[in-house]
Amino acid sequence: MQQTSIGRSTRRVDAIAKASGHTQYIADYTFDGMIYAKMVRSTVPRGKILDISIPVLPSGYSFISAKDIPEGGKNQLHMIKTDYTCFADGEVRFIGETIGLVVGPDRGVLQDLVDQVKVTYEEGEYAVTIEDGLACKGGAFVGEDNCFCDFTINKGDVDEIFAGSDRVFEEEINTGWQEHVHLETNGAIAMPEGDKFVIHVSAQCPFYVRKSIASLINRPYEDIIVRQSVTGGAFGGKEHFPDVLAGPLLVAAYVTGKPVQLIFDRHEDSAYSVKRHPSRTRFRTAVDKDGNITAMDVDVVYNAGGYESCSYVVLQRGVFHATGVYNIPNSRVRGRAVATNTFPSDAFRGFGAPQTLFAVETHLAHIATQLGIDPFELKKRHFLKKGDVTVTNGHIYETVVLPEMAQQVLDESGYLEKAKTYAPGSLRGVGISFYNHGGAFTGNGEQMIIKARVRLRKNSDDTVDILIGSTEMGQGFQTALTKIVADELGIGLERVRYPQPDTSVVSDSGPTVASRSTMIVGAIAQRSAARLREQWVEGKELVVEEEYTHPEGFPWDQSTFQGDAYIGYGWGACVIEVEVDPLTTEVNTKGIWSSHDVGLAIDELIVHGQINGGIAQSLGYAAMEKLDFSAKTGFKQTGLSDYIIPTSMDFPSQVCTLVDNPYEFGPHGAKGMGELVFNGASAAYIDAVSRAIGKEIRSIPVPPEILMEMM
Amino acid sequence: MIDEIRFTLNNSEVAITCDPLKRLLDVLREDFGLFGTKEACGEGECGACSVLMNGRLITTCMVPVGAVKGKEIMTIEGLRETERGKTIIEAFADGGAVQCGFCIPGMVVAAESLLSRNAKPTEDEIRLGIAGNLCRCTGYDLIVESIKLASERGEGLW
Amino acid sequence: MVETSYIPQTLEEALRIRKETGAKPLAGGTDLMVMHRRGTGVVPSFPWPVMIISSLEELKYIRREGDDIVIGSGTTCHAIEDDPSVPYAVRTAASLMGAESLRNLATIGGNVCNASPKADLPVPLIMMDAKVTLVSATGSRTLLLDEFITGPKETDLKDDELLLEVRIPLPEKDYSHVWYRKIGTRKANAISKLSLSAAVTLDADGFIKDFRSANGASGPKVARSTEVEKILEGKNVTEIPSVLEQFLDAYDAILSPHAMPTYRRLSTRRMLAHFLTEVASGTQNMIVT
Repeated sequence: MQQTSIGRSTRRVDAIAKASGHTQYIADYTFDGMIYAKMVRSTVPRGKILDISIPVLPSGYSFISAKDIPEGGKNQLHMIKTDYTCFADGEVRFIGETIGLVVGPDRGVLQDLVDQVKVTYEEGEYAVTIEDGLACKGGAFVGEDNCFCDFTINKGDVDEIFAGSDRVFEEEINTGWQEHVHLETNGAIAMPEGDKFVIHVSAQCPFYVRKSIASLINRPYEDIIVRQSVTGGAFGGKEHFPDVLAGPLLVAAYVTGKPVQLIFDRHEDSAYSVKRHPSRTRFRTAVDKDGNITAMDVDVVYNAGGYESCSYVVLQRGVFHATGVYNIPNSRVRGRAVATNTFPSDAFRGFGAPQTLFAVETHLAHIATQLGIDPFELKKRHFLKKGDVTVTNGHIYETVVLPEMAQQVLDESGYLEKAKTYAPGSLRGVGISFYNHGGAFTGNGEQMIIKARVRLRKNSDDTVDILIGSTEMGQGFQTALTKIVADELGIGLERVRYPQPDTSVVSDSGPTVASRSTMIVGAIAQRSAARLREQWVEGKELVVEEEYTHPEGFPWDQSTFQGDAYIGYGWGACVIEVEVDPLTTEVNTKGIWSSHDVGLAIDELIVHGQINGGIAQSLGYAAMEKLDFSAKTGFKQTGLSDYIIPTSMDFPSQVCTLVDNPYEFGPHGAKGMGELVFNGASAAYIDAVSRAIGKEIRSIPVPPEILMEMM
Repeated sequence: MIDEIRFTLNNSEVAITCDPLKRLLDVLREDFGLFGTKEACGEGECGACSVLMNGRLITTCMVPVGAVKGKEIMTIEGLRETERGKTIIEAFADGGAVQCGFCIPGMVVAAESLLSRNAKPTEDEIRLGIAGNLCRCTGYDLIVESIKLASERGEGLW
Repeated sequence: MVETSYIPQTLEEALRIRKETGAKPLAGGTDLMVMHRRGTGVVPSFPWPVMIISSLEELKYIRREGDDIVIGSGTTCHAIEDDPSVPYAVRTAASLMGAESLRNLATIGGNVCNASPKADLPVPLIMMDAKVTLVSATGSRTLLLDEFITGPKETDLKDDELLLEVRIPLPEKDYSHVWYRKIGTRKANAISKLSLSAAVTLDADGFIKDFRSANGASGPKVARSTEVEKILEGKNVTEIPSVLEQFLDAYDAILSPHAMPTYRRLSTRRMLAHFLTEVASGTQNMIVT
């Protein structure tokens, strides 16, 4: 038997083809007779469509809109909620809402035609900010209060504690929009194939796409075949959003009978795509005379934009992470997702957790400073540990190794010494944060909603194909899963293939989201491989299929949000050191140290790469990625020259450490990690900058011009 | 205006008859089928469409094909056939530089441009050398390490 | 098909085309190709005829002529940053423009003629009293760059003219101290949020013989005032502390930033104060950082 590849660093299965330019992405596909599509979008934040005037279309060109949805079809995209319309019909809720597609053979002609489409609106007063939305500016357009959802969870008795508390700290923390900036923009091609339709698409969740759009033309899911193209980055931005392209394209392919291609350019992908939810988190925190936190009352509001899509679920995760990695004896967390006239907010790496984790970490740092103790001292007193009751009155089942992780980053960074030496306002600062991320779908979602299945096929040449809907989008899952399966079978990696998913061929292993793939799908695949190994007969074709089984003893009530929201968490600790330029308030990051508990790394190099990238994205979120609303263009920053993401020069190389803490239900002890690594660096950075300038920062991002105004 | 434009593409003489204002990026991808050159921003900010022109790094989304008359263009498709190109690609694969991969062909071209001027770059020089190539997946560290690895393995190549 | 683009092979041909058709020059393309782009697979659409002049070797040179450094308009930023004969502030500004791939294309002529308020090269050039020479089929003229750029994205270029070269007069005696700093939107590959170039020449007794400074991205065009500079001229370095506030206030009055006014004004003030305080401290460094 060959040596296991688990844990060790392996050359990724997709690396050479990608690096040498052989890999084909969606924009590289061509089909005979393929025509192109360009979107006609709303140009006002809120209004009634009075008239759509289409120029005379040359032969071979068509305008596709709500009128083209066949009888029995529904003008909706199913994204957990079904409120997102495929084509705006009657009203528009935000700038950039799809009104129609112009399709035809020449892209230059299409651009001219789009420029000539005139839509007349009766414009309405619109809401942009969370405050606008809550105040129902322009009149509520969702329910009576503009809230897509509003719920509260309780642990202990908060009111009683506040009534008798020694000190109460009140604070509001805000975070802004963030754009995914997957280097590959969104793109899809829809085409007829026999009496079915094929969607080639850059996406995370092929089965989501199928489910979302089939009802547009009133067909069963099976009539829509989704083939994922190699996906050049996603980060949540290709979880539901590909539906916004695939839906109209399906209608266009239905009408024209031709392959229809739509690839967004960067301007479109920036201005007219989903974003991370802006957030407002308000805390009331009670502290006893010994400086221990006894209660927290938290009010979380996320700006959901024009449609709910998955905001309720994003908000749940935000609420369940709102007290961070701490055991707060009494807590109450209210969550609301408010409707505004901005582009819908949707999934983005962390899925609601980064906002509240940033807020609670920042809040605790400020409390500590006011108490006259180091933030680390306050935080470590409250670290969650095995057996503790969670914010949803569930339990922590695993051993939490935060103390060891903290020690690692303290030792490597020299945090304690630096925290003492760098005086507040000295323009040098060090900051620290702790964070976690609940692995997989919340509560019993894996069991009740997803029901993942994994299929392995052994071919007669004794190679094995992994046939599942889980996708590679850069995170390394194709390699990680190939390793898990090959290892279990005791065969070389080269004998295991994991082709791009095709929904007509593969089993539905659930969406590639929620840091669930390695942890959940990996475990099912390992079990499938074990069964295949038992049945293995050389030269014979075999198929095995296994499905998810939920571990016993983890109660969850989805109607009250009580119980075990997550069975296993990834954990993180991060220290950041900065210097602020005295002349320009530009921030120079001097060091980045992190420690993560991902259970066990299936591939250390892949995990290392995810940590580096997640932290860089999180630092960008805090430091530079400013995105403002514009009543003209939706967002003010609409390209890579004005929406600023980190370059290789912006942050120094990172020191990353992993701890081994195998997770009972994961393959080889692995837990989720793709989102965890985003969740904490922003708070450590802001802590460091706050200390360097001697001012509390309560809102991100903070480019130098904002720091200067604060100082 | 339609004009015949001759230039050298991956060591072969080529000619194209088209509007000289057509972007070199579109010419490479759509007229020559060289899809390794990627479009990610269309405004010269991200480096995904990088190629070498007379040995120098350029972004092809900003160059009208009329401007490459008589020039030598080397794309990832040409570079991958060379020892240098292979060395960089292998180092990227072994060093964990590749995640989603979309920026990587351009990054490989930028690495070649850097190493051809400076065979033994320091970390800072590498970071500066790829500052025009945006990557959203890796945070750059493993790309920097991989270029260092290529430089070590390719001793004497540059 | 209407002739909309030309690729002249000589300057003479370019000038003739310019005169006959009014075609506008396209050099590196880094501004114009982006400004007029129409998406993937679609030829950029220019509202005027265009001539691609990037292959005119006649326009690519850096040479010394008497007391001037003369840079041909087709010279790339990369060539400028690489040439030690180019004054420090200009070289540094060139080296910090965008990314390497952009600097290999972008030309001094394009950067100057595009006349963006955020352009990098005009800042040190205007500080140094650089002149531009414009040629047409019928003649040539030379004027100060500061006068050539008339406003945001506006120049005095006539319909039959092309920019031939930029002429930087070298100071009689090297500057004693010089400053250049660009604040970008990030640490590299960035557009200017603000840039400041300044230089001072001292005599043997520490008297300021010459002081000059210019700002980019802080108004509709590069901000410079010889009136304000006179506040410092003739003063001894020991007097800098006593006139500093007066000078900074006067300098502040020539700035008119549209956005981020606090940041741009205060950073300028701090950088100038820092530079002058270093000068007053008797620093031996010619390049102040």
